[in-house]
Amino acid sequence: MLSPERLALPDYEYLAQRHVLTYMEDAVCQLLENKEDISQYGIARFFTEYFNSVCQGTHILFREFSFIQATPHNRASFLRAFWKCFRTVGKNGDLLTMREYHCLLQLLCPDFPLELTQKAARIVLMDDAMDCLMSFSDFLFAFQIQFYYSEFLESVAAIYQDLLAGKNPNTVIVPTSSSGQHRQRPPLGEASMLEGVEASLFSQCLENLCDRHKYSCPPPALVKEVLSNVQRLTFYGFLVALSKHHGINQALGALPDKGDLMHDPAMDEELERLLAQVPGLVNSAPANPEASCLPSRTPPRVGSPWRPLHHARKVDAESDGSTEETDESET
Amino acid sequence: MIPGKYRSVSGRAANNVNCGLHLVIQTSSLPEKSKVEFKLNKETPSFSGRLLQHDLERNYSSRQGDHITLASSSMPSFPILQRSSEEKILYSDRLTLERQKLTVCPIIDGEEHLRLLNFQHNFITRIQNISNLQRLIFLDLYDNQIEEISGLSTLRSLRVLLLGKNRIKKISNLENLKSLDVLDLHGNQITKIENVSHLCDLRVLNLARNLLSHVDNLNGLDSLTELNLRHNQITFVRDVDNLPCLQRLFLSFNNISTFESVCCLADSSSLSDITFDGNPIAQESWYKHTVLQNMTQLRQLDMKRVTEEERRMASVVAKKEEEKKRESHKQSLLKEKKRLTINNVARQWDLQQHRISSIAPNQDGKVSDCPQDPSQLRGSTVSAFPEETGSLDSGLTSALQGLSVTDTHLVEVDGDTLSLYGSGALESLDRNWSVQTAGMVTTVSFTFIEFDEIVQVLPKLKIKFPNSLHLKFKETNLVMLQQFNALAQLRRVDQLTVDPQGNPVVNFTLWKYYVLFRLSHFSMQKINGTEVTQNDMIMAERLFGILAHVASSELPQYRLISILGDARKKQFRYLLETKGKKPGLVNEENSDSKRLVGENTNRATLNYTTRDFYNARLEEIKEKKKFCKMYMEDLVKEATEINMKNEALQKLWPQMFIELVRDAVIEIRNKSSYMKLCLQQITDQK
Repeated sequence: MLSPERLALPDYEYLAQRHVLTYMEDAVCQLLENKEDISQYGIARFFTEYFNSVCQGTHILFREFSFIQATPHNRASFLRAFWKCFRTVGKNGDLLTMREYHCLLQLLCPDFPLELTQKAARIVLMDDAMDCLMSFSDFLFAFQIQFYYSEFLESVAAIYQDLLAGKNPNTVIVPTSSSGQHRQRPPLGEASMLEGVEASLFSQCLENLCDRHKYSCPPPALVKEVLSNVQRLTFYGFLVALSKHHGINQALGALPDKGDLMHDPAMDEELERLLAQVPGLVNSAPANPEASCLPSRTPPRVGSPWRPLHHARKVDAESDGSTEETDESET
Repeated sequence: MIPGKYRSVSGRAANNVNCGLHLVIQTSSLPEKSKVEFKLNKETPSFSGRLLQHDLERNYSSRQGDHITLASSSMPSFPILQRSSEEKILYSDRLTLERQKLTVCPIIDGEEHLRLLNFQHNFITRIQNISNLQRLIFLDLYDNQIEEISGLSTLRSLRVLLLGKNRIKKISNLENLKSLDVLDLHGNQITKIENVSHLCDLRVLNLARNLLSHVDNLNGLDSLTELNLRHNQITFVRDVDNLPCLQRLFLSFNNISTFESVCCLADSSSLSDITFDGNPIAQESWYKHTVLQNMTQLRQLDMKRVTEEERRMASVVAKKEEEKKRESHKQSLLKEKKRLTINNVARQWDLQQHRISSIAPNQDGKVSDCPQDPSQLRGSTVSAFPEETGSLDSGLTSALQGLSVTDTHLVEVDGDTLSLYGSGALESLDRNWSVQTAGMVTTVSFTFIEFDEIVQVLPKLKIKFPNSLHLKFKETNLVMLQQFNALAQLRRVDQLTVDPQGNPVVNFTLWKYYVLFRLSHFSMQKINGTEVTQNDMIMAERLFGILAHVASSELPQYRLISILGDARKKQFRYLLETKGKKPGLVNEENSDSKRLVGENTNRATLNYTTRDFYNARLEEIKEKKKFCKMYMEDLVKEATEINMKNEALQKLWPQMFIELVRDAVIEIRNKSSYMKLCLQQITDQK
């Protein structure tokens, strides 16, 4: 606990980096809202439950968007929850429109903004034909990149526009909130003769960005890897490459690999149990719904922390390696 | 022979004409002259055996006949008729020249007191040479070839004029026949009734088998009792009510198809006998009772007596028809009103949805005015309520005019369907519905209403219309799957119809499965008309089952409670009290609370709050969040201060410790002085 680098940071910064305050504030807020009920069964238990759910990644279920967006851990948990709940849709092979995916997102977060889904869809569809159908895995990975790294992507977009316009790449660019992606295309110059920007130049800029960016970025090494494969690339080409990169996915740690995307044995078991009760639902009179539809209970994972599915994890180079610590500090 | 029907009608002249006179033609022996001789034979028994012979010479010089001689006159074309003096004395007032093959009327000399003249069955083309017979009462020209009525102007005493079966095209030249009693013009080519207005003594007028297409111009016939218009092409009848004495009217075999075309008959109080057979009107189902109802004075219809029973039936049927007509009229008015209202509601809806970009300024004012001025609104209408619609009639016409301006919603109950158009209609759910009506309603249809608004009245719907099993949504702005969560609070829904028009959610591939999943406790039968199969249910569960599982078992307790709301809170509290508050019992309590909470509880947390409510709630929470933030900041400050102090202490402690130890050692170095010091301290304390 008393590792030296922790003591090196001043207090507030330390807390902020771990987003401890966010969770504490939220916990207290929840406590206030449900005063009467919680006071019944004890504040200590409430806090236990709360932080358990934070660890498990269930704290973001049906919460407002501002909370879900607040910390990287929240974002990752949300992605994971979305995957878990709607993996079956993907497994079924249905191709859905952007609006329908947005609808599914809204089932978990009622005020999820349409913009984000649209941006994610743009990545999949390469900014073309926005009404096209998308597969679950395509959408999910693109959405992951867009949602988890949204601020980073905005800055990247700004940089890209500047490079397209031929501006000096070494000037410090301060990204404004949302204007980055809506800038007008510059008048035709040399850069537009070939599509996109030069990869090496782009790579340099992104490195600078990662260094000073306070929001989470993809691991710079991996970004470099992506950019080293090509000569030139467009903005959406870059994003697509990011979304399909396995390493980045693993570094994020929210979703399983593409190959394993449809694979979740525990949930499948649960589903089978539920399915076994469906004939009972249809035939029996509604007078007895509780007995027939009560799913047999699996004990909730009270104590088990949330772990990413894949086992070979990259221990280093994560901007928030908080999962390790919470594991140990939990029990 | 004089047709029998006139026997009783005419005066004395008719009675004397029972005899028939035979004309026998004899040709002369003289080669250069063909002579014609006529014999007259009596046919009636009372005069049997007596023969009268007339000789009529056609265009030639006279010849001696037995009794009658036809001498050639100064005019070479007309034969002259003469009778023997015996005949003249015996039948001084009648003369019969039936079937004599006459082509012209002969000149009749010396018969000035003749009263009856019979020219039946000849070939006479013009009425001539009878002007001198000024006492003539009865003139029969039946079955000739007369083309024009003429030559009658001196016959002022004429009472019976029979011109049937001729070729007369026009009624004319009857001006002086003011005493005419019977006028028979049947079997001619008359197209129009005219020039009869002066015949104020006329009692029988026969115009059967002519070419009449309509009947009018009947004024002046003040004595007319019988009017025969059979076998014409009459389509309408007028002026019959101007005939004060008309009792019998025969209109068989014409072209009358509606009662309106003969409606003047209803106003004729004298009519007692009428025939319509052979007309199109007689084929109609409403013929008999319409006629009987409109002509209550009738005694015979189509030659059959009208019984009291028939009359009664007719009036009953007529009343029913009247009512039916009124009813259907009312219905069509109501339908029109409904249509206009719905159009109005649709337009308002479109405006609301910003589909109509250009809005006329007065419309704009209207739109903004309507919700603010409820007294102007005509409000809702309810149809198919017999007891309530009685008073609508008077208001309807005026309302129809003002309709497009004021009506903004429509509520309609039609047997088992309750239809609501426009958001204002939702207020009608507050009304006191009769138990019977409300109980019959099984289908509720919402059109042009925002779904979010419907969600708020669903509890009311549950209570007021407990049997509603089928919900229909059209133009209700269903855009999210989440919105279907709101339907879970109803008691039961068997069928759901979501019209693609105005409901974008239908475009989603998964919407039906989501509905089946979320509302699985209803065991729905049909969605949008298609039956729900077992496979559908399984698919729905397969797609969204995990969502339900996650939503129930992976939510922490307090979240579960806060989402599920008050009712469940109470149940849960009760549960807690009985079960105790041990933290380890999380599992069991979880399952128990689920068991208590009615419907498919693992889905119960999937709720829908309308956008407005959601935002309002978030606003409320903002205050709390601010407070929490401040509170946390204070706590953090405290904690960091303590931490700082702790760290500072950690840093300083070794030094401090050493100093403490050193101070202590220095103190105890001189044992004796230290002892003294301690003792001193103890005594000082006391």
